[in-house]
Amino acid sequence: MKERIKKILISYDTPHNTCVMGNEGIARAAIEAGVDGVFSYPGTPSTEISEIFNHVNNFQYDQANKEKYPDLTSHPVYFEYSINEKIAMEKAIAFSIGNKSAMCVMKNVGMNIASDALLSVTYQTIIAPLVIVVCDDPGCHSSSNEQDSRYWGPMASVPIFNPATPEDAFEMIKLAFELSGKIKLPVLVRTTTRVSHTRGVLSYGAIKQEAREAKFERLPEHINIPARTAVAHTRLLDKLKSEPILALLKQESKLKLNAVDTAFGIISSGVATSYVTEILHQNDFLHRVSLLDLGLIHPFPEKEVLSFLSRGFEKILILEELDPFVENAVRNLTQKNKLDQQIFGKGFSNLTVTGEFSLDLLRTVLEDFSNTTFNNTQKAPLENHEIFLDHLPPRPPTLCSGCPHRATFYLLKLAIPREQSELIMCGDIGCFGLGALPPLKMIDTINHMGMSISMAQGLYESFHASEKSKKVVALLGDGTFFHSGLTSLVNAVYTRANILVIIFDNRTTGMTGHQPHPGASRTPKYHEIEIAPLLKGMGIEVVETINPYNVTDSIDKVNEAMLHQGVSVLISKAPCIFLPEFKDKMEKKMKIIVDHSRCNTCENHEDKSLSCSRCYTPKNNLSRAKAKLLAEISIPGEEQLCPANICNHGFFNSILEGDTHSAIEIVRDKMLFARTCGDICHRPCELFSSYKNLIPIKKLKHLVSSNEELFIDFSSPIKRAEEAIKKHKSVAIIGAGPAGLSAAYDLIQSGYEVCVFEKENTVGGMVTYAIPYFRMDKAGFDYEAMQLQKMGVTFYLNQSLGKDFTLEHLTEKFDSVILAIGMNKAKTLDLIEQNIPSESRMDVLHFLKSFNQKESMIKNGSVVFIIGGGNSAMDAARSAKRLHSTNRIIVSCFETESQMPAFYEEVKHAQAEGIEFLYDSCINSISVEKSGKTILHLHTYSNDQSLLIVPCDYIITAIGQTTDPRVILNLTTDDDLRIINENGFSGYKNVLVAGDISSGNNMSVIGAIASGKKAAIGVRKLLENYAYEYEGNFALERLNAIPTPQRSPANESEEIFEIEKYNLFQSCQKCNHCIDNFGCPAMVKVNGKVEINANRCTLCGLCIDVCPNNAIRWEAEKLESIEA
Amino acid sequence: MNMIKNIKILIAGVGGQGVVFLSNLVVEAAMISNIPVSVSEIHGLSQRGGVVTSGIGLGAHCTGFIGKASVDFLFGLEPLETQRCLSYLHKNSSVIFGHYRIQPYSVNAEITQYPELSVLATYLEKQCKEAVFIKEFAKHIDPILYNVFMLGRASRMNDFPFQEPLLEAAINNTLHGTKNKETMDAFKLGVAYEFDKKQAPLNS
Repeated sequence: MKERIKKILISYDTPHNTCVMGNEGIARAAIEAGVDGVFSYPGTPSTEISEIFNHVNNFQYDQANKEKYPDLTSHPVYFEYSINEKIAMEKAIAFSIGNKSAMCVMKNVGMNIASDALLSVTYQTIIAPLVIVVCDDPGCHSSSNEQDSRYWGPMASVPIFNPATPEDAFEMIKLAFELSGKIKLPVLVRTTTRVSHTRGVLSYGAIKQEAREAKFERLPEHINIPARTAVAHTRLLDKLKSEPILALLKQESKLKLNAVDTAFGIISSGVATSYVTEILHQNDFLHRVSLLDLGLIHPFPEKEVLSFLSRGFEKILILEELDPFVENAVRNLTQKNKLDQQIFGKGFSNLTVTGEFSLDLLRTVLEDFSNTTFNNTQKAPLENHEIFLDHLPPRPPTLCSGCPHRATFYLLKLAIPREQSELIMCGDIGCFGLGALPPLKMIDTINHMGMSISMAQGLYESFHASEKSKKVVALLGDGTFFHSGLTSLVNAVYTRANILVIIFDNRTTGMTGHQPHPGASRTPKYHEIEIAPLLKGMGIEVVETINPYNVTDSIDKVNEAMLHQGVSVLISKAPCIFLPEFKDKMEKKMKIIVDHSRCNTCENHEDKSLSCSRCYTPKNNLSRAKAKLLAEISIPGEEQLCPANICNHGFFNSILEGDTHSAIEIVRDKMLFARTCGDICHRPCELFSSYKNLIPIKKLKHLVSSNEELFIDFSSPIKRAEEAIKKHKSVAIIGAGPAGLSAAYDLIQSGYEVCVFEKENTVGGMVTYAIPYFRMDKAGFDYEAMQLQKMGVTFYLNQSLGKDFTLEHLTEKFDSVILAIGMNKAKTLDLIEQNIPSESRMDVLHFLKSFNQKESMIKNGSVVFIIGGGNSAMDAARSAKRLHSTNRIIVSCFETESQMPAFYEEVKHAQAEGIEFLYDSCINSISVEKSGKTILHLHTYSNDQSLLIVPCDYIITAIGQTTDPRVILNLTTDDDLRIINENGFSGYKNVLVAGDISSGNNMSVIGAIASGKKAAIGVRKLLENYAYEYEGNFALERLNAIPTPQRSPANESEEIFEIEKYNLFQSCQKCNHCIDNFGCPAMVKVNGKVEINANRCTLCGLCIDVCPNNAIRWEAEKLESIEA
Repeated sequence: MNMIKNIKILIAGVGGQGVVFLSNLVVEAAMISNIPVSVSEIHGLSQRGGVVTSGIGLGAHCTGFIGKASVDFLFGLEPLETQRCLSYLHKNSSVIFGHYRIQPYSVNAEITQYPELSVLATYLEKQCKEAVFIKEFAKHIDPILYNVFMLGRASRMNDFPFQEPLLEAAINNTLHGTKNKETMDAFKLGVAYEFDKKQAPLNS
């Protein structure tokens, strides 16, 4: 840069050729013209002009340079980035009035606010030359409109140059300075993107060395009062007819092509001249066209154009980008001069008022104009290239990797989700406007610069009186805030608007290439103004500065600011990634990597063909990501696993997202009994010792399955069974308890033919007979079980093994058999059987069955003595109590309280219901009174000491179950007559076992369901070489493995459950959150996984917080380039 | 000024890939050769990851503006941007393009598909006068220098107007001594790229 600046300041006695951009040529031309000061607000496509003067200024004011390069620093050029174009214009005018030549530089729309100053000073006077450079943007590459600045000529009555090339611009700037000095009027030079940003070869010459003395002369023209304006207007118009202008009009109306033939005349201005010259030079057509290029277009070169027209062309074509400025003037002229001239302009061929010209567009226009086809046989287009251009991915601009604006938008996405509210977010001009595009989409309006705050105020006011009155949000950059946001904010405070203003303070003017502004002065040349004290001084109560990379803290502040009534302001402050302070802060010698085993991976099941009803939407994943950062309690998914392998992560997060439909479907992906488990599951998913607060999955399951509409809809499992690829293999299941039914549910969905044999006249087994009705919804269970029929399972009821059919027979008739007959025979004690009359004793199964059928014979006010410390003893005790509140229920067991095999919560329920417990006790002897009352003599079990004498009316033995050994011939059993098996395989033919009958089975309903699933997988392994294992072992073992006192499930007593406090996290295949909601360009999706391109990563580290799968992390390794 | 046959060169890439720097080197080579040169760059929001193109016109009345079937020589610094320029090429065009992909958002979001490079390479080899596809850049060079690497390889192509010594001079003039060695090394690696596989270049 220093070399470039030196070159720009060297005065060349002999012309020096250099190839530079139009904007650089403009800067050099101003220097050659001896400019004393430049005032500017940056804006594409004008920016490079002011950047050069910024560098020139820094170079010239540097003491070392002053000493080393006296020639280059002897005429210092003042430069400033004014806060906006209006101030730049006003200051440039004043500078000129102080007898220093000035240049004021801006983009097209800048003139809109600067024009106030221009339109008055022309009636008055300037002193030293003042040149205004305005750069238009046809095609709107980087502007909010494509307004045509040539109108400022007639509007302000100032001369306006319209260069076609960098070479033109270079010359015209010098002419403009000269003219302005002569007629004491500001002179405009208007360029377009293709002139400013095109490079051409310029001849640098000598720099004007004239030194101007600063002075102020008290002239009457400096005071603008109405009495003088009429005269002043006449004087102004006279200046436009003055000799210097007339000379320039002649000089700058150039006959670029001069044909003898008078068929075609072209009048063009601006970059159109470049295009048309090139096209004509490439074609033989050149000799038939005359071309007049207009360089000074206001006042209009009437004489020159008339002279051109007088050559009597058959047709005249007028070429200019944007509005028909020249065309209208030419038409006006022909009308005034009564010329009968055929003129072609806007509306002819491809000539429109909108957009840019191009070689292709003008070639067509010239072909149409001349009725000729321009062919170039040397340059035939590639064949069928169009198909390569179809559906090509677009490449819109995006916020840079590491950009603090993305961080701010991301935290706003989490803090004020837009899907759930009608919150209006008013954006503004600048880099951060890219937040309107996917994936951020956090902006509703973008208008002109500084409009955001006014838009928010106005919208707030329009809703003010209505019921919908609410806070409106304004978003703007720090540069824009000082440019034009500040005055609007004063108005907001003044009018008591209820708005939140978020200032994206990235410490620079980012969009235009990092210029300083009052909030980030960057050099001692400018004084820095801190935004926060400024706002507090205005009386704004809530002014908070946030660090956008600290998402959690910032979200709290956003929420507070949203709640405040009145104007609240958040300053999201973090440097642009191009600033040194960003780079200084970033991690060195580290890189960020993605663990592909966690990225977009299902951690729940390996078999990807299994149904997953988790609904994938960017919004859902946003909710997971929010939970990750904001939840008070975070629990890894593996802590809350289910023996039935239900995806509790997906289940919980669906509820968190309000999607209870997906939640119940996720349960049914793996298991039939959503409601039954919601009632009676022993929730191994909640049985974990190290986490005090767990998510009450069972309670949520109950909640979700209590929704009748969701509960009754089994269409998805039915559809899955229908659509399953048929295996043409049959499976017999003996026993319609929860184990057998679960095996049937899985197998029917895997395409098997399934027949269930049940000895009772109804399905359900122990769930139907042994679980007391007050613990569960019996009708709900029946409904769930009934769905199997709809799914295609065949039931044979009243079919008893050993009586109606044999196992042997089924093994031959079916491809596989699952034995799930349960343990339906209660164990008894000889002491009881022999000493107590049969009407006073019963076993637990008979008692519970009679209880559920409401046929219990126990009389009111009885003492019921229950022997046993297991779950059925608890059920029996609670049922007996429920028969009549006057019943006294005593439970006697060998074990101490903590050693009881019953689940902790069952014991607690029983205790709470007034059941008495005799731990460490056993019956020593029994006597029967005359009244028929039984007297029990109890001893302690541990040391056989006399303990208590208890009179009772009934005794129920609940000491475990067994089965009829006759039905399990051929199968190997353990001491309890349970069938020994390995993963369900009995070792006998094609027979698998499930449920209570299988050795090593885990008690409880969920244990039975799990064993049914395990047997179903066994069948699939046997019959189709299924490759996956049963995936619920970890949770299943937990059901029994954990010592009783620690089995306390979480949140048991919490009635109101704040679900938002929790985060249950696990990798999920249906993720893509970082791409869908964050969109850092360093993140690349390759083969379904996200990768980080180290060449583009700026190491801001925010993605680590963003990833809901915890798949992204730092790694301290040598940076190696990763190719995308 | 040297009057040569007009040549239009287009350099296409993504912000941050050094399109403008490469363009400056070509301009400098033209200036040393005293050839008329004009350049038109499009880089509205290039720092924000957008498309950057630089058109260079060599010879009298030849602008840097690009039209259909007007480009004689294309540098594709990024494959997708190379493909986007196909309508500007003609049957006598020469093309050099590299494999280094920069995926736009819509590809990551799986809304669109990134085109298949081998298909493009085959097509260009068949359709153009000369096409060089850089399948692999030398491992240790910074991707920011892929531009000069490609310039090195381009110097051996038949229709590229500037040869190795001249381009070296252009690099030296443009860099003013900073990062000179790395740049020159990358350039020379480019010159040597697949040298054995091709017939010796004309300018060796």
